[in-house]
Amino acid sequence: MSDAAVSPRRTFALDGLMLRYAVLVGLIVIASVGFSLANSNFYSITNVGILLRSISVLFLVSMGMTFIMLTGGIDLSVGSNVAFSGGVGVVALTTTGSATIGFICALLAGMAIGWVNGVFIGRLRLSAFMVTLATFALARGLALVIYDADSINVDNAAFLWLGGTSWNNLPVVIPFVALMFIALSVLLYRTTFGRNVYAAGSNFNTAFVLGRRPERSVVWIYVLSGALAGLSAIVTVGRVSSGQPWAGLFLEFDAITAVILGGTALSGGRGRLLGTILGVLLYGIIINGLVLTGTNPYLQSLIKGMILLGVVLLDTYTQRGKSV
Amino acid sequence: MTNTARIFREHNIVFVTIALCIVFYMVSPRFLSVDNMSAISRQIVPIGLIALGQFFVVVSGNIDLSMGMGSVLFAIVLGVFFGLTGGVAVGIVAVIVCSLALGFFNGVLVAKLKLPAFIVTLSTLFMAQGLSGLIIPRGQQIFLIGDFFRFVGAGKFMGLYWSFLFLIALFALAYVVYNHTRWGAYVVAIGNSEENAKLAGINVDRVKIGIFMFSALCSGFAGLVLSSRMGFVQPGLDGNGLLLDGIAAIIIGGTLILGGRGTIGGAFWGLLFIGIINNALNLLNVVDVWHQVFKGAVILAALAINWMLWQSRQADAH
Repeated sequence: MSDAAVSPRRTFALDGLMLRYAVLVGLIVIASVGFSLANSNFYSITNVGILLRSISVLFLVSMGMTFIMLTGGIDLSVGSNVAFSGGVGVVALTTTGSATIGFICALLAGMAIGWVNGVFIGRLRLSAFMVTLATFALARGLALVIYDADSINVDNAAFLWLGGTSWNNLPVVIPFVALMFIALSVLLYRTTFGRNVYAAGSNFNTAFVLGRRPERSVVWIYVLSGALAGLSAIVTVGRVSSGQPWAGLFLEFDAITAVILGGTALSGGRGRLLGTILGVLLYGIIINGLVLTGTNPYLQSLIKGMILLGVVLLDTYTQRGKSV
Repeated sequence: MTNTARIFREHNIVFVTIALCIVFYMVSPRFLSVDNMSAISRQIVPIGLIALGQFFVVVSGNIDLSMGMGSVLFAIVLGVFFGLTGGVAVGIVAVIVCSLALGFFNGVLVAKLKLPAFIVTLSTLFMAQGLSGLIIPRGQQIFLIGDFFRFVGAGKFMGLYWSFLFLIALFALAYVVYNHTRWGAYVVAIGNSEENAKLAGINVDRVKIGIFMFSALCSGFAGLVLSSRMGFVQPGLDGNGLLLDGIAAIIIGGTLILGGRGTIGGAFWGLLFIGIINNALNLLNVVDVWHQVFKGAVILAALAINWMLWQSRQADAH
């Protein structure tokens, strides 16, 4: 009974979502054809690998952001968190020389920031953008302190493996992202925790009355997002063989855009991970194309801002049309 | 709860700020020197303008993330129009027109199209950043030379900076508007419950658009003051740092981030607090990289303390 009350209306919602996914796939095809015409190298297997690797971090962070936005929240701190947890991991690695300790420290650091967010947002019921704006500054500041505002080179092969290694043009990180997608899908669709995520986002008070403990789920969701930021940090360090204090700058902005593009409602309770994957692909192809064609970085941020606004407008418009 | 305890609770920021001054004075006696005090009074002006605009936005239950980068953009608008025509008035009119236009844009999207304010202003933040770098290429500057900019940036009246006096006057004006006009009451009503405000016959959309136009105008003035003080404009200024300082000031001043509650006096003390912290971090030679850590930690602590105070008030009321 309680499950029926909180689960999304499958039959109706699925049609809309399928249409949306079909449109997204179509746009992805159009965008890639467009960029391959503009740049003949775009479609080589190597370049597809490079493209997917460059947006692998966005995949990870966006999946965490999907969980958060399903609860109606937002996490502005993920980009800073990538820099902070990367810093903790790299420093742990260089002082102990053990890649395992480096991995664990990066993950724990990411989860710690996520936990702070989660406690303030879930337990104290403060607004998510305000809390994560504070941790956005805090985590970036801590990253600058850890790195002393300078990058640290890393040459530990085990630590760089995830982000840096390729098997015959296939970067290791791509199957890793696919595995994370499957694991997180199972978590979201096949477990009580996943149901609680939808419940907390559909109606927090109802979920509370039903005994689903949304305040507790929210804390864990932010910890999950922090853990994914920690993983992203390891991938980022592996990609460039060094830890950078300004890593992940404005990553949260890209993630939010991609997640909304993938059909997750800003108000929470509606959306799926598959949509986020498609959203990241489309957004990643566009951003990558802008970088490859050497677009002025300021023009890039203008375009990014307009894409976000356009996507939000379109999303609200189509959703309202449906509900009327 | 005793009377003293209540006074302490409701005016905690006053006591904390004074205590902070005493601590900093003991660490470094230069802190309370006249020179340093007047330096603080000048440093807080742009932050104060951002805080004042953001105050009304936050009390109405919204947020304007575009204020910091908006200031950078408007400073560049000022520079371009001043550089092209050589006329100060033209530059200022351009700043006012552009800032009101940005505020109108934000306001319409939030009020009429019912989009969440943080998403709308996050995207206008990026657009403002992009535009600021497209108007003037990175690394180039436009110099602002003239009596007017010297007056705004460094002009003094009886030992006090004109820009600081202007800020005080604006805060006084905002106090009157917030506490003694219908519009101020509307802002609070919307922050408490938009539904009820609508039922009470308030034109919610118009008030909201007005709030966003005011906040954008404040960021335009902040850009004017900031660039006059520096004497030049260029893209790539730290607009987001300014935004964070402004938000920190009003949260420290006890403004409820969920909307509907806050005082202008509190916002002013919060502003002094942030100004003193910023100044002391420089005066005590705290390494630059720590500044942002302090900012983030101070905002988080203020959020937690506000929450506890709110709980204690609830308990008191029952």
